Amino acid sequence: MNRRFSAAVDYTLALGVLLFVWWFATGPMALPAFLLPSPLRTWNALVTIALTGELWRHLGFTLQNIVLGLILGCIAGIAIAYVMTRFPRLAVWLDGPLVILQTAPKIALAPLFVVWFGFGVLSKIILIFSLVFFPVFVGAVAGFRTLDPKMKDLSKLLGLSAVQRFRQIELPAAMPEIFVGLKIGAVQALVGAVLAEWMSGKVGLGYLMTFASATYKTPLLFAAVLMTVVLGLVLHVALTILERRLLSWKGAKNG
Amino acid sequence: MAQSERMIDIAGVHKTFVADHGTVTALEPVSITIREGEFISIVGPSGCGKSTLLRLISGLDQATGGSITLDVSGRKRPVGFVFQEPVLLPWKTIVDNVRFPLDTAGVARAQGDKTALDLIKMVGLAGFEKALPRQLSGGMRQRAAIARALSDDPPILLMDEPFSAVDLMTRDNLNDELLRIWQSTGKTILLVTHSVDEAAYLADRVMVMTARPGKLKCVHNVELARPRGEQTKLDPAYHALVAQLRRDLRTPAGEAH
Repeated sequence: MNRRFSAAVDYTLALGVLLFVWWFATGPMALPAFLLPSPLRTWNALVTIALTGELWRHLGFTLQNIVLGLILGCIAGIAIAYVMTRFPRLAVWLDGPLVILQTAPKIALAPLFVVWFGFGVLSKIILIFSLVFFPVFVGAVAGFRTLDPKMKDLSKLLGLSAVQRFRQIELPAAMPEIFVGLKIGAVQALVGAVLAEWMSGKVGLGYLMTFASATYKTPLLFAAVLMTVVLGLVLHVALTILERRLLSWKGAKNG
Repeated sequence: MAQSERMIDIAGVHKTFVADHGTVTALEPVSITIREGEFISIVGPSGCGKSTLLRLISGLDQATGGSITLDVSGRKRPVGFVFQEPVLLPWKTIVDNVRFPLDTAGVARAQGDKTALDLIKMVGLAGFEKALPRQLSGGMRQRAAIARALSDDPPILLMDEPFSAVDLMTRDNLNDELLRIWQSTGKTILLVTHSVDEAAYLADRVMVMTARPGKLKCVHNVELARPRGEQTKLDPAYHALVAQLRRDLRTPAGEAH
Protein backbone atom coordinates (compact mmCIF):
# COMPACT_ATOMS: atom_id res chain seq x y z
CA MET A 1 0.00 0.00 0.00
CA ASN A 2 2.76 2.32 1.08
CA ARG A 3 4.72 1.42 -2.03
CA ARG A 4 1.79 2.06 -4.29
CA PHE A 5 1.25 5.42 -2.61
CA SER A 6 4.84 6.52 -3.10
CA ALA A 7 4.69 5.39 -6.72
CA ALA A 8 1.60 7.56 -7.20
CA VAL A 9 3.46 10.51 -5.65
CA ASP A 10 6.35 9.93 -8.06
CA TYR A 11 4.05 9.82 -11.06
CA THR A 12 2.30 13.01 -9.99
CA LEU A 13 5.61 14.78 -9.47
CA ALA A 14 6.91 13.68 -12.86
CA LEU A 15 3.71 14.89 -14.50
CA GLY A 16 3.98 18.17 -12.61
CA VAL A 17 7.53 18.73 -13.80
CA LEU A 18 6.51 18.00 -17.36
CA LEU A 19 3.63 20.47 -17.17
CA PHE A 20 5.91 23.07 -15.66
CA VAL A 21 8.46 22.72 -18.44
CA TRP A 22 5.64 22.98 -20.97
CA TRP A 23 4.26 26.07 -19.30
CA PHE A 24 7.76 27.57 -19.01
CA ALA A 25 8.44 27.07 -22.72
CA THR A 26 5.20 28.78 -23.72
CA GLY A 27 5.10 31.43 -20.96
CA PRO A 28 8.48 32.90 -19.95
CA MET A 29 10.27 31.53 -23.04
CA ALA A 30 7.42 32.73 -25.21
CA LEU A 31 7.48 30.09 -27.93
CA PRO A 32 4.91 30.99 -30.59
CA ALA A 33 1.53 29.28 -30.20
CA PHE A 34 1.63 27.70 -33.67
CA LEU A 35 4.72 25.78 -32.56
CA LEU A 36 3.70 25.01 -29.02
CA PRO A 37 0.42 26.19 -27.53
CA SER A 38 0.37 26.73 -23.79
CA PRO A 39 -1.12 24.11 -21.49
CA LEU A 40 -4.06 26.40 -20.85
CA ARG A 41 -4.88 26.93 -24.53
CA THR A 42 -4.62 23.19 -25.16
CA TRP A 43 -6.89 22.57 -22.21
CA ASN A 44 -9.38 25.10 -23.53
CA ALA A 45 -9.37 23.48 -26.95
CA LEU A 46 -9.98 20.13 -25.30
CA VAL A 47 -12.82 21.44 -23.16
CA THR A 48 -14.43 23.11 -26.15
CA ILE A 49 -14.64 19.95 -28.23
CA ALA A 50 -15.60 17.97 -25.15
CA LEU A 51 -18.54 20.29 -24.56
CA THR A 52 -19.72 20.23 -28.16
CA GLY A 53 -19.55 16.46 -28.03
CA GLU A 54 -17.17 16.32 -30.98
CA LEU A 55 -14.39 14.82 -28.85
CA TRP A 56 -16.50 11.88 -27.75
CA ARG A 57 -17.52 11.07 -31.28
CA HIS A 58 -13.88 10.93 -32.42
CA LEU A 59 -12.64 9.18 -29.29
CA GLY A 60 -15.48 6.68 -29.39
CA PHE A 61 -14.80 5.82 -33.02
CA THR A 62 -11.09 5.24 -32.44
CA LEU A 63 -11.69 3.27 -29.27
CA GLN A 64 -14.34 1.14 -30.92
CA ASN A 65 -11.99 0.26 -33.78
CA ILE A 66 -9.18 -0.60 -31.42
CA VAL A 67 -11.36 -2.80 -29.25
CA LEU A 68 -12.89 -4.58 -32.24
CA GLY A 69 -9.48 -5.07 -33.85
CA LEU A 70 -8.03 -6.37 -30.60
CA ILE A 71 -10.86 -8.82 -30.00
CA LEU A 72 -10.88 -10.12 -33.57
CA GLY A 73 -7.09 -10.28 -33.71
CA CYS A 74 -6.94 -12.21 -30.45
CA ILE A 75 -9.61 -14.70 -31.46
CA ALA A 76 -8.03 -15.32 -34.86
CA GLY A 77 -4.48 -15.41 -33.48
CA ILE A 78 -5.36 -17.91 -30.77
CA ALA A 79 -7.55 -20.01 -33.05
CA ILE A 80 -5.03 -20.33 -35.87
CA ALA A 81 -2.17 -20.93 -33.45
CA TYR A 82 -4.19 -23.69 -31.80
CA VAL A 83 -5.15 -25.35 -35.06
CA MET A 84 -1.54 -25.24 -36.20
CA THR A 85 -0.20 -26.84 -33.03
CA ARG A 86 -2.90 -29.51 -33.09
CA PHE A 87 -2.41 -30.37 -36.75
CA PRO A 88 1.30 -30.18 -37.62
CA ARG A 89 0.55 -31.15 -41.22
CA LEU A 90 -1.52 -28.02 -41.60
CA ALA A 91 1.25 -26.02 -39.98
CA VAL A 92 3.61 -26.96 -42.80
CA TRP A 93 1.09 -25.55 -45.28
CA LEU A 94 0.35 -22.40 -43.36
CA ASP A 95 3.90 -21.59 -42.26
CA GLY A 96 5.06 -20.09 -45.55
CA PRO A 97 2.16 -17.70 -46.20
CA LEU A 98 2.13 -16.67 -42.56
CA VAL A 99 5.83 -15.81 -42.52
CA ILE A 100 5.39 -13.69 -45.64
CA LEU A 101 2.40 -11.90 -44.15
CA GLN A 102 4.18 -11.50 -40.85
CA THR A 103 7.30 -9.91 -42.30
CA ALA A 104 5.32 -7.66 -44.64
CA PRO A 105 5.13 -4.21 -43.05
CA LYS A 106 1.45 -3.85 -42.28
CA ILE A 107 1.71 -0.07 -42.20
CA ALA A 108 2.89 -0.16 -45.81
CA LEU A 109 -0.11 -2.28 -46.68
CA ALA A 110 -2.46 0.26 -45.14
CA PRO A 111 -3.15 2.20 -48.39
CA LEU A 112 -3.90 -1.12 -50.05
CA PHE A 113 -6.45 -1.91 -47.36
CA VAL A 114 -8.14 1.40 -48.15
CA VAL A 115 -8.24 0.52 -51.84
CA TRP A 116 -9.62 -2.92 -51.11
CA PHE A 117 -11.96 -2.28 -48.23
CA GLY A 118 -12.98 1.33 -48.72
CA PHE A 119 -12.83 4.50 -46.66
CA GLY A 120 -15.07 3.25 -43.90
CA VAL A 121 -14.70 1.28 -40.74
CA LEU A 122 -13.80 -2.00 -42.42
CA SER A 123 -10.39 -1.02 -43.78
CA LYS A 124 -9.45 0.48 -40.40
CA ILE A 125 -10.43 -2.59 -38.44
CA ILE A 126 -8.59 -4.81 -40.90
CA LEU A 127 -5.41 -2.79 -40.47
CA ILE A 128 -5.66 -2.98 -36.68
CA PHE A 129 -6.52 -6.66 -36.89
CA SER A 130 -3.43 -7.37 -39.00
CA LEU A 131 -1.26 -5.55 -36.46
CA VAL A 132 -2.75 -7.39 -33.47
CA PHE A 133 -2.95 -10.81 -35.06
CA PHE A 134 0.73 -11.63 -35.41
CA PRO A 135 2.06 -10.85 -31.93
CA VAL A 136 -0.88 -12.74 -30.41
CA PHE A 137 -0.42 -15.61 -32.86
CA VAL A 138 3.31 -15.92 -32.13
CA GLY A 139 2.67 -15.79 -28.39
CA ALA A 140 -0.11 -18.35 -28.60
CA VAL A 141 1.98 -20.76 -30.67
CA ALA A 142 4.74 -20.52 -28.07
CA GLY A 143 2.18 -21.06 -25.32
CA PHE A 144 0.52 -24.08 -26.90
CA ARG A 145 3.83 -25.68 -27.88
CA THR A 146 5.34 -25.47 -24.40
CA LEU A 147 2.41 -27.26 -22.78
CA ASP A 148 3.65 -29.86 -20.28
CA PRO A 149 3.16 -33.29 -21.95
CA LYS A 150 1.97 -34.57 -18.58
CA MET A 151 -1.02 -32.26 -18.96
CA LYS A 152 -1.90 -34.17 -22.12
CA ASP A 153 -1.71 -37.41 -20.14
CA LEU A 154 -3.97 -35.88 -17.54
CA SER A 155 -6.60 -34.86 -20.05
CA LYS A 156 -6.43 -38.30 -21.66
CA LEU A 157 -6.83 -40.05 -18.31
CA LEU A 158 -9.81 -37.90 -17.45
CA GLY A 159 -11.27 -38.48 -20.90
CA LEU A 160 -11.76 -34.76 -21.45
CA SER A 161 -13.62 -33.63 -24.55
CA ALA A 162 -11.78 -31.41 -27.02
CA VAL A 163 -13.64 -28.38 -25.70
CA GLN A 164 -12.91 -29.22 -22.07
CA ARG A 165 -9.26 -29.77 -22.83
CA PHE A 166 -8.98 -26.43 -24.61
CA ARG A 167 -10.98 -24.40 -22.09
CA GLN A 168 -9.71 -26.02 -18.93
CA ILE A 169 -6.10 -26.83 -19.72
CA GLU A 170 -4.59 -25.60 -22.96
CA LEU A 171 -5.91 -22.05 -23.07
CA PRO A 172 -5.15 -21.15 -19.44
CA ALA A 173 -1.71 -22.75 -19.73
CA ALA A 174 -0.92 -20.67 -22.82
CA MET A 175 -2.35 -17.46 -21.34
CA PRO A 176 0.94 -15.97 -20.09
CA GLU A 177 2.51 -16.18 -23.56
CA ILE A 178 -0.69 -14.97 -25.21
CA PHE A 179 -0.63 -11.93 -22.95
CA VAL A 180 2.91 -11.06 -23.98
CA GLY A 181 1.66 -10.94 -27.56
CA LEU A 182 -1.51 -9.11 -26.64
CA LYS A 183 0.39 -6.31 -24.91
CA ILE A 184 2.58 -5.77 -27.96
CA GLY A 185 -0.54 -5.98 -30.13
CA ALA A 186 -2.37 -3.34 -28.10
CA VAL A 187 0.37 -0.77 -28.67
CA GLN A 188 0.33 -1.60 -32.36
CA ALA A 189 -3.44 -1.36 -32.43
CA LEU A 190 -3.38 2.25 -31.29
CA VAL A 191 -0.75 3.12 -33.89
CA GLY A 192 -2.78 1.37 -36.56
CA ALA A 193 -6.03 3.04 -35.55
CA VAL A 194 -4.59 6.55 -35.69
CA LEU A 195 -2.72 5.87 -38.90
CA ALA A 196 -5.80 4.48 -40.62
CA GLU A 197 -7.71 7.62 -39.69
CA TRP A 198 -4.97 9.85 -41.07
CA MET A 199 -5.41 8.23 -44.43
CA SER A 200 -9.13 8.28 -44.88
CA GLY A 201 -12.45 9.03 -43.28
CA LYS A 202 -13.95 11.94 -41.43
CA VAL A 203 -13.98 10.73 -37.88
CA GLY A 204 -11.55 9.51 -35.20
CA LEU A 205 -8.68 11.01 -33.23
CA GLY A 206 -6.35 10.50 -36.18
CA TYR A 207 -8.73 12.44 -38.41
CA LEU A 208 -8.94 15.17 -35.77
CA MET A 209 -5.16 15.51 -35.90
CA THR A 210 -4.99 15.83 -39.67
CA PHE A 211 -7.88 18.27 -39.61
CA ALA A 212 -6.25 20.42 -36.91
CA SER A 213 -2.85 20.51 -38.56
CA ALA A 214 -4.33 21.25 -41.99
CA THR A 215 -6.23 24.18 -40.56
CA TYR A 216 -3.34 25.37 -38.34
CA LYS A 217 -5.29 24.80 -35.15
CA THR A 218 -2.27 23.79 -33.11
CA PRO A 219 -4.07 23.80 -29.73
CA LEU A 220 -6.65 21.42 -31.19
CA LEU A 221 -3.85 19.27 -32.61
CA PHE A 222 -2.29 19.14 -29.18
CA ALA A 223 -5.58 18.26 -27.63
CA ALA A 224 -5.98 15.37 -30.07
CA VAL A 225 -2.44 14.15 -29.47
CA LEU A 226 -3.03 14.35 -25.74
CA MET A 227 -6.20 12.30 -26.02
CA THR A 228 -4.32 9.66 -27.99
CA VAL A 229 -1.71 9.47 -25.24
CA VAL A 230 -4.47 9.13 -22.65
CA LEU A 231 -6.13 6.44 -24.74
CA GLY A 232 -2.85 4.54 -24.86
CA LEU A 233 -2.53 4.80 -21.09
CA VAL A 234 -6.11 3.63 -20.57
CA LEU A 235 -5.48 0.62 -22.80
CA HIS A 236 -2.31 -0.18 -20.91
CA VAL A 237 -4.05 0.05 -17.54
CA ALA A 238 -7.01 -2.04 -18.75
CA LEU A 239 -4.69 -4.78 -19.99
CA THR A 240 -2.65 -4.70 -16.80
CA ILE A 241 -5.80 -5.14 -14.72
CA LEU A 242 -6.95 -7.96 -16.95
CA GLU A 243 -3.53 -9.58 -16.70
CA ARG A 244 -3.55 -9.34 -12.92
CA ARG A 245 -6.92 -11.03 -12.81
CA LEU A 246 -6.15 -13.77 -15.29
CA LEU A 247 -2.55 -14.45 -14.38
CA SER A 248 -2.50 -13.85 -10.63
CA TRP A 249 -1.65 -17.54 -10.25
CA LYS A 250 1.74 -16.89 -11.87
CA GLY A 251 2.92 -15.27 -8.68
CA ALA A 252 3.60 -11.87 -7.26
CA LYS A 253 4.33 -9.20 -9.80
CA ASN A 254 4.79 -5.89 -8.11
CA GLY A 255 3.99 -2.63 -9.75
CA MET B 1 -13.05 -58.00 1.91
CA ALA B 2 -13.24 -59.86 -1.34
CA GLN B 3 -9.49 -60.18 -1.57
CA SER B 4 -9.63 -62.98 -4.07
CA GLU B 5 -11.46 -61.11 -6.82
CA ARG B 6 -9.39 -60.40 -9.87
CA MET B 7 -9.09 -56.69 -10.39
CA ILE B 8 -6.40 -56.53 -13.06
CA ASP B 9 -5.61 -59.38 -15.41
CA ILE B 10 -2.47 -58.92 -17.45
CA ALA B 11 -1.80 -61.62 -20.02
CA GLY B 12 1.26 -61.59 -22.23
CA VAL B 13 1.33 -57.83 -22.49
CA HIS B 14 4.34 -56.48 -24.34
CA LYS B 15 5.39 -53.21 -25.91
CA THR B 16 7.81 -52.42 -28.68
CA PHE B 17 8.30 -49.16 -30.45
CA VAL B 18 10.08 -48.10 -33.58
CA ALA B 19 13.19 -45.98 -33.12
CA ASP B 20 15.72 -44.66 -35.63
CA HIS B 21 17.77 -47.84 -35.51
CA GLY B 22 15.03 -50.46 -35.63
CA THR B 23 12.49 -51.63 -33.10
CA VAL B 24 13.16 -51.36 -29.40
CA THR B 25 11.56 -53.66 -26.88
CA ALA B 26 10.32 -51.57 -23.98
CA LEU B 27 8.60 -54.45 -22.27
CA GLU B 28 8.81 -58.20 -22.82
CA PRO B 29 5.60 -60.18 -22.33
CA VAL B 30 4.30 -59.84 -18.77
CA SER B 31 1.56 -61.88 -17.19
CA ILE B 32 0.19 -61.33 -13.71
CA THR B 33 -3.15 -61.22 -11.98
CA ILE B 34 -3.75 -58.59 -9.35
CA ARG B 35 -6.49 -59.05 -6.78
CA GLU B 36 -8.91 -56.43 -5.63
CA GLY B 37 -7.55 -54.37 -2.80
CA GLU B 38 -4.01 -55.55 -3.29
CA PHE B 39 -1.03 -53.25 -2.87
CA ILE B 40 1.60 -54.00 -5.50
CA SER B 41 5.02 -52.40 -5.70
CA ILE B 42 6.94 -52.50 -8.95
CA VAL B 43 10.64 -51.98 -8.49
CA GLY B 44 13.41 -51.84 -11.02
CA PRO B 45 16.12 -49.70 -12.60
CA SER B 46 15.49 -47.05 -15.23
CA GLY B 47 14.42 -48.49 -18.55
CA CYS B 48 12.96 -51.69 -17.12
CA GLY B 49 9.52 -50.87 -18.45
CA LYS B 50 7.86 -50.33 -15.09
CA SER B 51 6.44 -46.98 -16.06
CA THR B 52 5.50 -48.41 -19.45
CA LEU B 53 3.52 -51.15 -17.71
CA LEU B 54 1.68 -48.57 -15.66
CA ARG B 55 0.87 -46.48 -18.72
CA LEU B 56 -0.45 -49.57 -20.50
CA ILE B 57 -2.72 -50.43 -17.59
CA SER B 58 -4.01 -46.85 -17.43
CA GLY B 59 -4.72 -46.82 -21.15
CA LEU B 60 -2.38 -43.90 -21.76
CA ASP B 61 -0.40 -46.09 -24.15
CA GLN B 62 -1.46 -49.06 -26.25
CA ALA B 63 0.24 -52.43 -25.86
CA THR B 64 1.83 -54.00 -28.92
CA GLY B 65 0.26 -57.33 -27.97
CA GLY B 66 -1.35 -59.23 -25.13
CA SER B 67 -4.34 -58.16 -23.13
CA ILE B 68 -5.13 -56.19 -20.03
CA THR B 69 -8.52 -56.73 -18.42
CA LEU B 70 -9.74 -54.46 -15.68
CA ASP B 71 -12.68 -55.61 -13.61
CA VAL B 72 -14.29 -52.22 -13.40
CA SER B 73 -17.70 -52.80 -14.96
CA GLY B 74 -17.64 -50.15 -17.65
CA ARG B 75 -16.49 -47.17 -15.64
CA LYS B 76 -15.40 -44.23 -17.72
CA ARG B 77 -12.39 -43.59 -15.52
CA PRO B 78 -11.33 -46.89 -13.96
CA VAL B 79 -7.95 -45.68 -12.74
CA GLY B 80 -6.60 -42.78 -10.79
CA PHE B 81 -3.06 -41.88 -11.78
CA VAL B 82 -0.41 -40.13 -9.71
CA PHE B 83 2.55 -38.95 -11.75
CA GLN B 84 6.09 -38.38 -10.65
CA GLU B 85 5.36 -34.66 -10.57
CA PRO B 86 2.05 -33.45 -9.13
CA VAL B 87 0.78 -32.12 -12.52
CA LEU B 88 -1.65 -29.80 -10.77
CA LEU B 89 -3.23 -26.99 -12.77
CA PRO B 90 -1.25 -24.00 -11.46
CA TRP B 91 -4.12 -21.54 -11.98
CA LYS B 92 -6.55 -23.51 -9.83
CA THR B 93 -6.66 -23.64 -6.06
CA ILE B 94 -6.09 -26.93 -4.31
CA VAL B 95 -9.79 -27.59 -3.85
CA ASP B 96 -10.47 -26.73 -7.49
CA ASN B 97 -7.68 -29.05 -8.57
CA VAL B 98 -8.97 -31.92 -6.47
CA ARG B 99 -12.51 -31.30 -7.75
CA PHE B 100 -11.34 -31.05 -11.36
CA PRO B 101 -12.07 -34.67 -12.35
CA LEU B 102 -15.56 -34.28 -10.88
CA ASP B 103 -16.18 -30.94 -12.59
CA THR B 104 -15.23 -32.37 -15.95
CA ALA B 105 -17.45 -35.39 -15.34
CA GLY B 106 -20.44 -33.13 -14.77
CA VAL B 107 -20.81 -33.72 -11.04
CA ALA B 108 -22.76 -30.95 -9.30
CA ARG B 109 -20.62 -28.33 -7.64
CA ALA B 110 -21.91 -28.85 -4.11
CA GLN B 111 -21.41 -32.59 -4.33
CA GLY B 112 -17.95 -32.12 -5.83
CA ASP B 113 -16.95 -29.67 -3.12
CA LYS B 114 -17.98 -32.06 -0.41
CA THR B 115 -15.96 -34.92 -1.91
CA ALA B 116 -12.95 -32.70 -2.55
CA LEU B 117 -12.92 -31.27 0.96
CA ASP B 118 -13.18 -34.73 2.50
CA LEU B 119 -10.25 -35.94 0.40
CA ILE B 120 -8.19 -32.87 1.22
CA LYS B 121 -8.74 -33.63 4.88
CA MET B 122 -7.78 -37.25 4.33
CA VAL B 123 -4.47 -36.41 2.68
CA GLY B 124 -3.68 -33.93 5.46
CA LEU B 125 -4.07 -30.68 3.58
CA ALA B 126 -6.90 -29.20 5.64
CA GLY B 127 -6.44 -25.43 5.79
CA PHE B 128 -4.82 -25.26 2.36
CA GLU B 129 -8.02 -25.62 0.31
CA LYS B 130 -7.77 -22.13 -1.14
CA ALA B 131 -4.00 -22.16 -1.67
CA LEU B 132 -2.48 -22.23 -5.12
CA PRO B 133 -0.13 -25.10 -5.98
CA ARG B 134 2.91 -22.83 -6.06
CA GLN B 135 2.31 -21.86 -2.45
CA LEU B 136 2.74 -25.46 -1.29
CA SER B 137 5.84 -27.60 -0.81
CA GLY B 138 6.59 -30.50 -3.15
CA GLY B 139 5.30 -33.06 -0.68
CA MET B 140 2.06 -31.15 -0.14
CA ARG B 141 1.51 -30.82 -3.86
CA GLN B 142 1.93 -34.55 -4.22
CA ARG B 143 -0.68 -35.05 -1.48
CA ALA B 144 -3.03 -32.88 -3.49
CA ALA B 145 -2.28 -34.97 -6.58
CA ILE B 146 -3.22 -38.11 -4.64
CA ALA B 147 -6.46 -36.51 -3.51
CA ARG B 148 -7.27 -35.58 -7.11
CA ALA B 149 -6.54 -39.12 -8.30
CA LEU B 150 -8.99 -40.42 -5.71
CA SER B 151 -11.68 -37.81 -6.28
CA ASP B 152 -13.91 -39.73 -8.65
CA ASP B 153 -13.41 -42.85 -6.59
CA PRO B 154 -11.62 -45.13 -9.06
CA PRO B 155 -11.14 -48.72 -7.86
CA ILE B 156 -7.53 -48.70 -9.05
CA LEU B 157 -4.80 -46.24 -8.13
CA LEU B 158 -1.64 -46.21 -10.26
CA MET B 159 1.36 -44.33 -8.92
CA ASP B 160 4.46 -43.69 -11.01
CA GLU B 161 7.33 -42.93 -8.63
CA PRO B 162 5.09 -40.50 -6.78
CA PHE B 163 7.52 -39.66 -4.00
CA SER B 164 10.81 -39.59 -5.88
CA ALA B 165 10.93 -35.79 -5.96
CA VAL B 166 10.47 -35.23 -2.22
CA ASP B 167 13.06 -35.44 0.53
CA LEU B 168 13.53 -38.65 2.50
CA MET B 169 11.76 -37.62 5.68
CA THR B 170 8.74 -36.37 3.81
CA ARG B 171 8.83 -39.56 1.83
CA ASP B 172 8.63 -41.72 4.96
CA ASN B 173 5.64 -39.70 6.13
CA LEU B 174 3.94 -39.92 2.79
CA ASN B 175 4.46 -43.68 2.71
CA ASP B 176 2.71 -44.05 6.05
CA GLU B 177 -0.09 -41.76 4.87
CA LEU B 178 -0.44 -43.80 1.73
CA LEU B 179 -0.84 -47.00 3.75
CA ARG B 180 -3.48 -45.31 5.87
CA ILE B 181 -5.34 -44.09 2.78
CA TRP B 182 -5.10 -47.53 1.22
CA GLN B 183 -6.49 -49.15 4.35
CA SER B 184 -9.37 -46.71 4.62
CA THR B 185 -10.35 -46.79 0.94
CA GLY B 186 -9.59 -50.38 -0.05
CA LYS B 187 -8.19 -49.35 -3.41
CA THR B 188 -6.10 -51.61 -5.56
CA ILE B 189 -2.76 -49.80 -5.73
CA LEU B 190 0.16 -50.28 -8.10
CA LEU B 191 3.16 -48.21 -7.11
CA VAL B 192 6.28 -47.90 -9.23
CA THR B 193 9.43 -47.02 -7.36
CA HIS B 194 13.23 -47.01 -7.53
CA SER B 195 13.48 -47.72 -3.85
CA VAL B 196 13.51 -51.34 -2.68
CA ASP B 197 12.90 -50.22 0.91
CA GLU B 198 9.76 -48.38 -0.09
CA ALA B 199 8.62 -51.30 -2.26
CA ALA B 200 9.01 -53.82 0.55
CA TYR B 201 7.55 -51.58 3.23
CA LEU B 202 4.32 -50.85 1.40
CA ALA B 203 3.34 -53.82 -0.66
CA ASP B 204 1.54 -57.13 -0.48
CA ARG B 205 3.59 -58.24 -3.45
CA VAL B 206 6.67 -56.78 -5.08
CA MET B 207 7.23 -57.15 -8.80
CA VAL B 208 10.93 -57.01 -9.64
CA MET B 209 11.72 -55.83 -13.14
CA THR B 210 15.03 -55.65 -14.97
CA ALA B 211 16.16 -53.53 -17.87
CA ARG B 212 17.28 -53.94 -21.46
CA PRO B 213 14.98 -55.45 -22.43
CA GLY B 214 12.40 -54.54 -19.81
CA LYS B 215 10.95 -57.66 -18.26
CA LEU B 216 9.33 -58.99 -15.14
CA LYS B 217 11.99 -61.00 -13.36
CA CYS B 218 10.12 -62.28 -10.33
CA VAL B 219 7.34 -61.54 -7.87
CA HIS B 220 7.80 -61.67 -4.09
CA ASN B 221 5.03 -62.12 -1.58
CA VAL B 222 5.52 -59.80 1.35
CA GLU B 223 4.51 -61.61 4.52
CA LEU B 224 5.05 -58.71 6.89
CA ALA B 225 2.29 -58.02 9.39
CA ARG B 226 -0.21 -55.21 8.88
CA PRO B 227 -0.64 -52.47 9.82
CA ARG B 228 2.93 -51.57 9.12
CA GLY B 229 4.92 -48.88 10.85
CA GLU B 230 8.23 -48.20 12.50
CA GLN B 231 8.30 -51.69 13.99
CA THR B 232 8.14 -53.15 10.47
CA LYS B 233 11.44 -51.52 9.70
CA LEU B 234 13.00 -53.39 12.64
CA ASP B 235 11.62 -56.73 11.52
CA PRO B 236 14.41 -59.09 10.32
CA ALA B 237 12.02 -60.43 7.69
CA TYR B 238 11.76 -56.93 6.25
CA HIS B 239 15.53 -56.63 6.01
CA ALA B 240 15.82 -60.07 4.50
CA LEU B 241 13.31 -59.10 1.83
CA VAL B 242 15.05 -55.81 1.10
CA ALA B 243 18.36 -57.66 0.76
CA GLN B 244 16.73 -60.22 -1.53
CA LEU B 245 15.28 -57.46 -3.71
CA ARG B 246 18.69 -55.82 -3.98
CA ARG B 247 20.21 -59.13 -5.03
CA ASP B 248 17.47 -59.61 -7.61
CA LEU B 249 18.20 -56.24 -9.09
CA ARG B 250 21.93 -56.68 -9.08
CA THR B 251 22.10 -60.08 -10.79
CA PRO B 252 22.13 -59.27 -14.45
CA ALA B 253 19.11 -60.96 -15.85
CA GLY B 254 18.42 -61.39 -19.52
CA GLU B 255 22.03 -60.81 -20.47
CA ALA B 256 22.48 -64.45 -21.40
CA HIS B 257 21.25 -63.80 -24.90
